[in-house]
Amino acid sequence: MAEMTPAELLKAENEKPLPFGDGYRLIGKNYPTNDLMAKVTGKAKYAEDFRAEGMLFCRLVLSPMPHARVKRINAEKALAMPGIRGILTPQEIPGAANYMNDNGVMIKVNPWAERALTDQPMYQGDPILAVAGIDELSVANAIEQIEIDMEPLPFVTDPLEAMRPGSPNPRSEGNVWVRPKNHPGPMQLANLKWTQKDFDCYKEGRLPEGQAPDEWSYGDLDAGFRNAALVLDETFITPDTSHQCLEPRSTMAYWQNGKLYLYTGTQSTFQTVPAIARWMHMDEDKIVFISEYTGGGFGSKITGAITMIVPALLSKKLNAPVMMRVSRREEHFIGRARPSVEGRVKIGFAKDGRITALDMFTICDSGAYGAQGDGASAGSIVSLLYQPPAMRWRGVNVMTNTPPRSAQSAPGGLQGIAILEPILSKAARKLSLDQVALRRANCPEGPVEYGPVNERTGKRAHVTSCFLKQALDMGVKSFRWNERVASKPKRIGSKVRGLGVSLSVFHGGSIGFDGLIVITPQGRVQIHSGIGNLGTEAVIDVHRAAAEVLNVKWDACDIIWGNTAKHMPYTCASGGSQTTHAMTRAAHAVAVECVKRLKEVAAKSLGGQPDEYEVANLRVFRRGGGAAMSFAEAAQYAIKLGGIYDGHAVNPEVNPATKKSVAALAGQGLVASARDDYPHNGDSYSFLACFAEIEADVETGKYYIVDYQAYADVGTVVHPAALGGQILGRSTLGIGHAISQDWVIDPQYGVTLAERFYENRPPTILDVPVDMKWNAVNIPDPQTPVGARGCGEPPVGGGCASILNALSDALGDNIFQRAPVKCDTILTSYEAGRPMQEPLVANI
Amino acid sequence: MAVTMAVIRDVMPAFDLLQPTTAADAQKLLEKYRGEAWALAGGMDSFDWLKDRLRKPRVVVDLSGIDELKGIRATSDGVEIGALTTLTEVGAHPLIRKDYSLLSDAVEHVASPQIRNQGTLGGNVSQDVRCWYYRGGWPCYRAGGETCFADTPVGRNREHAIFGADRCVAVHPSDSAPALIALDAKFVIRSSKGERVVDAEDYFIGPNVEITRINILQPGDLLTSIRIPSSWAGARFYFEKIRDRNVWDFPLMNVASAMVLNGNTIQRMRIVVNAAAPTPMRLKAVEAAVAGKPANAETGEMAGNMAVKGAVPLQFNAYKIPLMRNLVKRAIVGAQEASWA
Amino acid sequence: MSEMDDQKVDDGTSNAITRRKFIMGVIAGGAVVGAASYHFLSPSHAPLPPYLGERLISLNVNGKVRRVDVMKQETLASTLRYKLGLTGAKMGCDRAECGSCTVLLDGVPYYSCSVLTHTVRGRKITTIEGLAAPDGTLHPLQKAIVDEQGFQCAFCMSGFTLAALAFLKKHPNPTRAELAHGVSGNLCRCQDYNKILDALTRGAEYMRRA
Repeated sequence: MAEMTPAELLKAENEKPLPFGDGYRLIGKNYPTNDLMAKVTGKAKYAEDFRAEGMLFCRLVLSPMPHARVKRINAEKALAMPGIRGILTPQEIPGAANYMNDNGVMIKVNPWAERALTDQPMYQGDPILAVAGIDELSVANAIEQIEIDMEPLPFVTDPLEAMRPGSPNPRSEGNVWVRPKNHPGPMQLANLKWTQKDFDCYKEGRLPEGQAPDEWSYGDLDAGFRNAALVLDETFITPDTSHQCLEPRSTMAYWQNGKLYLYTGTQSTFQTVPAIARWMHMDEDKIVFISEYTGGGFGSKITGAITMIVPALLSKKLNAPVMMRVSRREEHFIGRARPSVEGRVKIGFAKDGRITALDMFTICDSGAYGAQGDGASAGSIVSLLYQPPAMRWRGVNVMTNTPPRSAQSAPGGLQGIAILEPILSKAARKLSLDQVALRRANCPEGPVEYGPVNERTGKRAHVTSCFLKQALDMGVKSFRWNERVASKPKRIGSKVRGLGVSLSVFHGGSIGFDGLIVITPQGRVQIHSGIGNLGTEAVIDVHRAAAEVLNVKWDACDIIWGNTAKHMPYTCASGGSQTTHAMTRAAHAVAVECVKRLKEVAAKSLGGQPDEYEVANLRVFRRGGGAAMSFAEAAQYAIKLGGIYDGHAVNPEVNPATKKSVAALAGQGLVASARDDYPHNGDSYSFLACFAEIEADVETGKYYIVDYQAYADVGTVVHPAALGGQILGRSTLGIGHAISQDWVIDPQYGVTLAERFYENRPPTILDVPVDMKWNAVNIPDPQTPVGARGCGEPPVGGGCASILNALSDALGDNIFQRAPVKCDTILTSYEAGRPMQEPLVANI
Repeated sequence: MAVTMAVIRDVMPAFDLLQPTTAADAQKLLEKYRGEAWALAGGMDSFDWLKDRLRKPRVVVDLSGIDELKGIRATSDGVEIGALTTLTEVGAHPLIRKDYSLLSDAVEHVASPQIRNQGTLGGNVSQDVRCWYYRGGWPCYRAGGETCFADTPVGRNREHAIFGADRCVAVHPSDSAPALIALDAKFVIRSSKGERVVDAEDYFIGPNVEITRINILQPGDLLTSIRIPSSWAGARFYFEKIRDRNVWDFPLMNVASAMVLNGNTIQRMRIVVNAAAPTPMRLKAVEAAVAGKPANAETGEMAGNMAVKGAVPLQFNAYKIPLMRNLVKRAIVGAQEASWA
Repeated sequence: MSEMDDQKVDDGTSNAITRRKFIMGVIAGGAVVGAASYHFLSPSHAPLPPYLGERLISLNVNGKVRRVDVMKQETLASTLRYKLGLTGAKMGCDRAECGSCTVLLDGVPYYSCSVLTHTVRGRKITTIEGLAAPDGTLHPLQKAIVDEQGFQCAFCMSGFTLAALAFLKKHPNPTRAELAHGVSGNLCRCQDYNKILDALTRGAEYMRRA
């Protein structure tokens, strides 16, 4: 255990669930978020809802081939057609360049990175051209007159096929991503083929384990297996799943006075500006980014999407605003997806269910561009969630000529948990142990360690806190696990029932960002938010912490969001569920700073020392009565004082970006900014225990989810309704991976066949129970002032795995070894008593 | 080296929209424009073809303004349903629910509420196949080409046919068609030569007959109504649809049957399975074999096994064999409803 | 071109842009809205046969008669969004399989992406913008969504709300499962179905009381 005394351990065990809002005025209470009125009346503007005078329309031309070189494009006829204003070719896309990140670190250019348009498409659907005109009909008619001369190149769409000896490479330089030795920088593409012997186990449905470029381990693996009462060796495949945000990544752009105005959906308003600047090769100061409402992100719009520069470039070239409407089909190709991870795990158990050793091998299908961290993340998450005393992880990160992947809610977390949990279920059955008991035996508790030993520090990483046992116990009670297990009927007619439980975890926070508040001369508390408005409501919710500290009612606060021209503080990217943690810290810090400045202003104006003053109800007043001033008066006096009080000077520790925003707001009131420098020891993760019951009909393979419940350890609950939406919404995102969602690609032509919702199958309202339940233990994280962590991603793995576990409980251990599990899998395997589908073939 | 023309989807091509208000006018317009005309009922199938720009008709004849093609009325021998009647109306109509609940059950399993509000009975039986190669614009047999992309060793054919394949392995996607065949419905077709009436099962064309067509409608023909005789009114009906998601999805398979019993003895039965073959499959051999037998598990098993005799699975659709066997069995003995206390 | 010539392009752009103003919201009812620059071709731009192109028609939208030029192949979603300034109906798929473009025609929910505008002349079209009272008072169903923090990203919200409104008018007191069936033609990718049902159940209660 990391820096932990037995007393501290005892403390984690003794913490009890608390009622929401305990000790707070605003935190832990429900309220209508400030964006709801616009949403519910249809006034909320998403990118494709904006119009500009003289606006042109552009559409993308996608590659029909999975890998090719564009030799020649003849657009003469198209350009001569009525209504056509111009085209954009790959040669007009600014070249990739090194760039400096927020922290002043130079990030080297990646020669294999995706570009907005390309003349060497790496997957069918890769954008190769854009055409703009006065309307979409003209553009479509013109596009059909463009001749494209393409040289087809070798391609591969199945990651295992890419590893076979003699197989084609997805790109001439190689097929796997490897970390460069001895120097930092992007992952390098290398050539790695396994031997025919490595593939011997393929026929039996076991994942080949050839040479793996990535590996780590800790503990004594051999001893662990030697001492095990049960050793299992299992293969499990998780699906490729498109993010399928309901809002496609449509973008509108225009230029005004040398500035680019760009409208698109993003998860991170503040953090998208540097991305635009990098892709456009331009100064951040010349970019105004507007993203008031975003129709879903799930990891696919963390800092927007690279295709958003297409309308920006066309707008510049054609001297007119340009709207690029992205269709659902186009979104399938450019809209990102979670990579499939093919996993094999050898795992040892003691008689009591405790894991003795765990040897995990993963193949991550990274698609056409960029190495994905899902395989490595899966290893790390497994190490944290099940606390094996000895573990080895090996991984290979494969490039294929399939649409690009990106992080999707719990990247690697979903895959790791979905791979491990069915094995744990099988082990519990073999050891005649209760499923909950086996998980409780391996459940992390307190500030536990995880992952390999860090080479630099010589230590393993550890988490800030973990109260998962309390969440598991809460769930066992609420779900009535023991009663359900005891009363479960075996089989009635063709129907069988199954119960499943799964642990779940993912990242839940980062640190070190800034807050920015203006107390206006009218006495309003104006809070500037650089968070994206993607539906989690973190954009607003985190500032409840500021209002709490400022001791003001919520309706005294205005939240400014969605437009970088309105000046934002240095803000985290909303990915990795870090926002609630990171930005409640920043909000807390700036509110504390604001209170400090208010007291100083009062003391300067009314006499006495700052610490003789208190702040409440929009007033600063002397303790025990006497002199007082309103926030409005304080703001007016702050402007008179100038300097640090009205933004003409700024706290030196805040980020340069925050300094710019403060300077822009100078003189508009009491301007306070601060950096989160609260102490933080460990990594912040959120945990859940998830429970499911299913009913399957073995004659049709059809099954229904009868019940689903999730119990969370996310630290302090900030906004219960929004948290409930995150817990059950992201659980259902995980459930989609278990029941229906996948990709279909024809490997002979390298072409995607399932492009539409009805072909890729995101869950509908009738595919999940109508009354799912959730709760949270609400025990504050000891390493953050508000005690709150994020919960966007942690439920995903548990949502998926609890269904898989319930299915294997109902149907037996030998029905499926891949997800999703659909009626075809169940029907063909149930009678045969073994997995019948080609278990290792991708994208069927 | 390959020179291709760029492809764009998701923009409807320009066409002229003709909006007749009588069936006679509609038929005349279809006659006049023949191959250049596209008949638009609810549009749920049509708009895909148009938005994908795989069909660019010169004129679209909108049938939605023709009141005489809408509605449900009792006839001396059953019920007549206008081809333009929406699936929602069919599903909710008291006449249908009372005596022909097989049909209301079937249409309520189509797609989604909004699609049922707009989609018509005539459109549902006349829709094209959903093979993703064919719908994706691949030059396959059905599209007039010279190969099938689904029926290859690696072709993705989970949803394709186990019966009736003849070069093309696509399946018929309708939920209402098998119910109408089971009810012995008659389709009324208007052409320049007048009106003709065909048995429901004769409306559909397999690839062995003509590979680029899915039904007998010729250019200039108009499906005007569907008549259901009273011969199966109030029979014991069974409909079940298996699909991946419970909304929107087309059937992986469905079964529709009508059975007249004397006590527990099957007097006569009609049973139809769809999404197993390029046309809805009426199982005449099963119908004959079960007549006179008790409606019990044994008969069900026998019928199920008989139904799948001769099935030819493709690489990824072998599950359809046990599925069809079990659905046919259930049509006779019913799904054993689980009751969980 | 690997680098952009900022100066040259900017000069031209700035002149043009200073005259530009946004069409931010609703365009006045009753006016004829020109469509020349929006989404679909108008006849003046291309040598199309005379029967193609736009026709001036009247639409009854949210209780007002709106005159608008509409192409023969234009969908109602396009007309509402690009010609009438009613962007509450969203284009999530344009293929009748997500429901975010749902509007009511004579009180019945339809996917406006899959309805030709020319076929709805004479019908009463209701969009999300037509739900609140003219003084801004929310419809009870909208009020319930606010009270229950219904929906996350809300791209699906207007479609769900209109589908639910039509369903609840016919079934004022549904079970949760019945309500789910009623709005099953709408997809939520935030998968917030549970909270959506909370909100719509509350909405049913408010509507019964109203």
